[in-house]
Amino acid sequence: MPKTPMGRWSDGLGFLLRRWRVLAGLAAWSAVEAVQTFATGYALARALDAGFLAGRPGTGLGWLAVAAVAVVVGAYGTGRTYGGVAALVEPFRDGLVRRVVGRALRDGDDGEAVSRLTHQVEIARDAFAGLVMVARSFVFTAAGALAGLFVLAPVLLAVVVPPLVLGLVLFLATLRPMARRQEAFLVADEAVATSLGEVCAGVRDVTAGGAEEYVRRETGALVDAELRAANALARWSVARVVALAVAGRLPVIPLLVAAPWLLARGVSPGALVGALTYLTQSLLPALQNLIHGLGASGTRLMVVARRLTTPPPAPRTAAVPSAGVPSSAGSPAVELRGVTFGYGPHAEPVVRGLDLVVPAGEHLAVVGPSGVGKSTLTGLVAGLLEPWSGEVRVGGVPAGERGARRSRVLIPQEAYVFSGTLGDNFRYLRDGPVPDHEVMAAVEAIGAGRLLSGGGLDAPVVPGALSAGERQLVALVRAYLSTAPVALLDEATCHLDPAAEAHAERAFAARPGGTLVVVAHRAGSARRADRVLVMDGPGTLVGTPRELLARSALYRDLQGASQPAGAARDADRVDAVPGPGLAGDGRHVVAHRAVGQVQAARDLPDGGPLGRE
Amino acid sequence: MAATASSCEAGDRGGRILRDAVRHSAGRTVVLAFVATASTAAALALPAVLGHTLDLLLARRDAEAGCWVLLCAVLVGVPVVLDALDELLTATTAARTTAWLRHRALGHVLAAGPPATARIPAGDLVTRLVGNAAHAGTAPASLAGTLAALAAPLGGIVALALTDVWLAVAFLAGAPVLALLLRSFARASADSLTGYQRLQGEIAGRLVEALAGARTIAAAGTAGRERARVLAPLAGLAEHGHRMWKVQGRATAQAATLVPLLQIIVLAVAGYELSRARLSVGEVLAASRYAVLAAGIGALVGHLNALVHGRTAAGRLAEVHALAPVRHGTLRLPPGGDGTLRLRGVSAVRGGRRVLREVDLTVPGGTTLAVVGRSGTGKSVLAAVAGRLADPDAGEVTLDGVALRDLTREELRAAVGYAFARPALLGGTMGGTVAFGSFTPDRDAVVAAARAACADDFVRKLPEGYGTACAAAPLSGGETQRLGLARAFAHAGRLLVLDDATSSLDSVTEAKVAGALLHDVAARTRLVVAHRPSTAARADRVAWLDDGRVRAVGTHEELWRLPGYRAVFEE
Repeated sequence: MPKTPMGRWSDGLGFLLRRWRVLAGLAAWSAVEAVQTFATGYALARALDAGFLAGRPGTGLGWLAVAAVAVVVGAYGTGRTYGGVAALVEPFRDGLVRRVVGRALRDGDDGEAVSRLTHQVEIARDAFAGLVMVARSFVFTAAGALAGLFVLAPVLLAVVVPPLVLGLVLFLATLRPMARRQEAFLVADEAVATSLGEVCAGVRDVTAGGAEEYVRRETGALVDAELRAANALARWSVARVVALAVAGRLPVIPLLVAAPWLLARGVSPGALVGALTYLTQSLLPALQNLIHGLGASGTRLMVVARRLTTPPPAPRTAAVPSAGVPSSAGSPAVELRGVTFGYGPHAEPVVRGLDLVVPAGEHLAVVGPSGVGKSTLTGLVAGLLEPWSGEVRVGGVPAGERGARRSRVLIPQEAYVFSGTLGDNFRYLRDGPVPDHEVMAAVEAIGAGRLLSGGGLDAPVVPGALSAGERQLVALVRAYLSTAPVALLDEATCHLDPAAEAHAERAFAARPGGTLVVVAHRAGSARRADRVLVMDGPGTLVGTPRELLARSALYRDLQGASQPAGAARDADRVDAVPGPGLAGDGRHVVAHRAVGQVQAARDLPDGGPLGRE
Repeated sequence: MAATASSCEAGDRGGRILRDAVRHSAGRTVVLAFVATASTAAALALPAVLGHTLDLLLARRDAEAGCWVLLCAVLVGVPVVLDALDELLTATTAARTTAWLRHRALGHVLAAGPPATARIPAGDLVTRLVGNAAHAGTAPASLAGTLAALAAPLGGIVALALTDVWLAVAFLAGAPVLALLLRSFARASADSLTGYQRLQGEIAGRLVEALAGARTIAAAGTAGRERARVLAPLAGLAEHGHRMWKVQGRATAQAATLVPLLQIIVLAVAGYELSRARLSVGEVLAASRYAVLAAGIGALVGHLNALVHGRTAAGRLAEVHALAPVRHGTLRLPPGGDGTLRLRGVSAVRGGRRVLREVDLTVPGGTTLAVVGRSGTGKSVLAAVAGRLADPDAGEVTLDGVALRDLTREELRAAVGYAFARPALLGGTMGGTVAFGSFTPDRDAVVAAARAACADDFVRKLPEGYGTACAAAPLSGGETQRLGLARAFAHAGRLLVLDDATSSLDSVTEAKVAGALLHDVAARTRLVVAHRPSTAARADRVAWLDDGRVRAVGTHEELWRLPGYRAVFEE
């Protein structure tokens, strides 16, 4: 649910209130800074009245020296306020970074996470800092100047304050409409940048399709829309100039008009000069900074912060209580009953009414055209996806529950290796300490010995320096070390050569009590399995490799048995893999018969009838 | 040498673009220059008038002072109007110029076609059209403000000298400190900034790692642990951040002392002159204001910087304008042609290397020719040349007897369709992507084309079906290829060129697409760049390309007997 503006305001207020000490420090140093403002007019007035006009230039110079000292003291205060600003801004940035990282980890990469982290967070940080500086500076400069006016002659306030307040009210009134236009402009600007980016990256496709006119029209319309947004924003800037004039410039005139009256009431010439100095040299620049700064920083902060903090739609998988029914000894390793699943409310289901039972200890291969839903199936079994209807159980426990999570391990195609030691990467799925010899045994079993050539388990790993195959070996060792009895290999060996793949698969199949589900990448992988699930929409079948050669034309195709001469060697290379979280191109998987009638697991000689390896 | 010459040339052309831009908004620029200069003139006149008014008031010559107060009111009020106008015109002129520059640059990119990105990489091109155009767009307004920007500080110094020559001397003696102090800032901030950016990069790097392993992390339920790992450098980041603010605070404090101290020096001299009755109180007030105006010389530097930036940006846009547009002919194709494609003596050079050498090939109308060869033997260049995505450096390409370069652009693009290994998906939505092209097919045609390319099923399973925005659905390589194929099918004409367009499809899907290509797609002639033997086997004939030459042409079965041909597929 998107946050209401009220919620965001109270969040912001809470953030500031929790840091009242920082705010107090900031106020104290700002007060020091305001000393300079105060002295600007007051010392000048005294220098004139008590010094230069009284024929005592020494006294005059003395007061100016006081002003010079105040400048230095004030500047010191200015310098120290940055410490306070940092104490507000840095935690603010930390909070944003935490949010961005947390959100990216929860919802996956939408291609923008890094930009949000490095670019947008920095914009928000700078804008927030600008906002704090400008607001703080205005408040204390105004206080310093007004205090100076009061000390010079309280009556001066009566002349200066009303236009100042009027101008500020006018400015505050323009704040919201201007922010809206500023935001509209930023959105239009981004749309132009995105569109131009797509066009420049796709010039070849534009030319090839002869779509120049279309692009000129569509992208051109966005450019014109941005122009309109910029003009609308520019028109409101007039209001800003007027507000500035009323608050900062006009007060000079009533002061001059009232001068004879003020002089008659005992206001000294020096005080009059001091008042004019406060107006033109303190208040006007401070107002200028406030009006320009608040307009720009405030809106940028609002827009970016909204983007960074708006919570995304609720995650697809519902939270499941962690009670975890203990698995009964007799229940199958994996069990799907009438499972239907699709990726969105308007999407057609990828899997429809699927029944499947995998007994403990079985080695099942899943094959089918790219995108038919093989990865979706592993996602359902792993509990990462929640079926629309039907039930998925792992070891007798519903797949989404924590108990089920302990009984399966999923190894996706894109192997995860993080910067750390090799040993840390291997032990990733184990809670307690794992002795080195156990790790080494797993390395041996998977056939990943070459990973250790760089310096053993404590050698640091640079993920980018590993080949795709080496990364997959790391993930396989890690999964082998986990205590989960059910291993789900989702094209987890696609970057290994066929021999290494066979070695790794056999290692998993040979784990005592281990159940293995392999989304097959090569034909040989299916031939090694006890049974094969051929996903092909309504034609979905399950059987032994030998049976399927007779029963499934698709299986024969995938095995390369019906390819033309010369193409056969190509059949071992099924490259395409659907993106994670996406539906593929097959027809719906409709189980029109119970495919889960478990057959006794039997040992097949590796390779099967077409074995060529 | 050549580089220097061309950058000079670009600079010249940048100047020309700016001149064009100023001419495009000539009226506004002139008005803006007038407004800014008038406002500055008023700002320069005000302190003297204000000072004189104050003197009259202090002397109790109230009757005389009345007119002068009125003059002050005018000098305060008129600049308000002028500044409002200035603000409005500056912003709208910049917006208008930016939009105009973008339209023009986009036109040049589109007219140049794919060679544009061969010359200037796509990312760089975007920077030019987005950032540089916006920068150059501010140039006319900056130019118009130059006189005013110059007049304020110089006028301030002159006014100081006119008030009392010693005031100007005091100011000029104190001013050089300004440059020295401002100089110390840049160096100090660069150090901590580097550290900050390094840690920021480290967090981003860890996040990217974790995102690449998202499925593993989700399955293992270790998101919390990952979060801590990614955020580990955050404390260091904050430390660098605090240091940066500290450095900046010190620099700001230094800079903040400068103008007030200069002003106090001027005031001290003015006060001394006042005590000797050589200046009036009003003149002291004016002097203090003029000192501030004269100190605005720093702003002048900023203004000149903006002008230089604008010119540099225009120079980078000039390189976009300099892209040679593709020239098209005026001929049309003979009606009822069967789509016979003929290459005669075609040679092409890329990066100084001859990638196609005297290629002669004929693809009879209605047939499919597969082009195979090891990578780097010029297959893609051949595909590009066959549909005039690029022109050959020698030789000629004809379709139904008409040279491609003699055809009108519309005729050429209606006749030739392309599908690529990595198509760019333009058109906003899934449906829009398929419809994207020289004409927009209706929905039924879009769905039919998608079905033929085996894209219909996966598109229907997306959250919004054909209306799903491309940005909202990250697609796999195979899915992207199928959409690209559907787009080509929906716009099929006489010739269809598939440049490795099925490389990410599995054999079963590829076979389905190939079948649809034969039966359901209207294109008559097909040129297919292929890496797989199965694709080559389905073609009527195969051209085997080796080192830019045609080694042999024949059926796949015939060529398969040659060991060298078989070796092509073993890579």
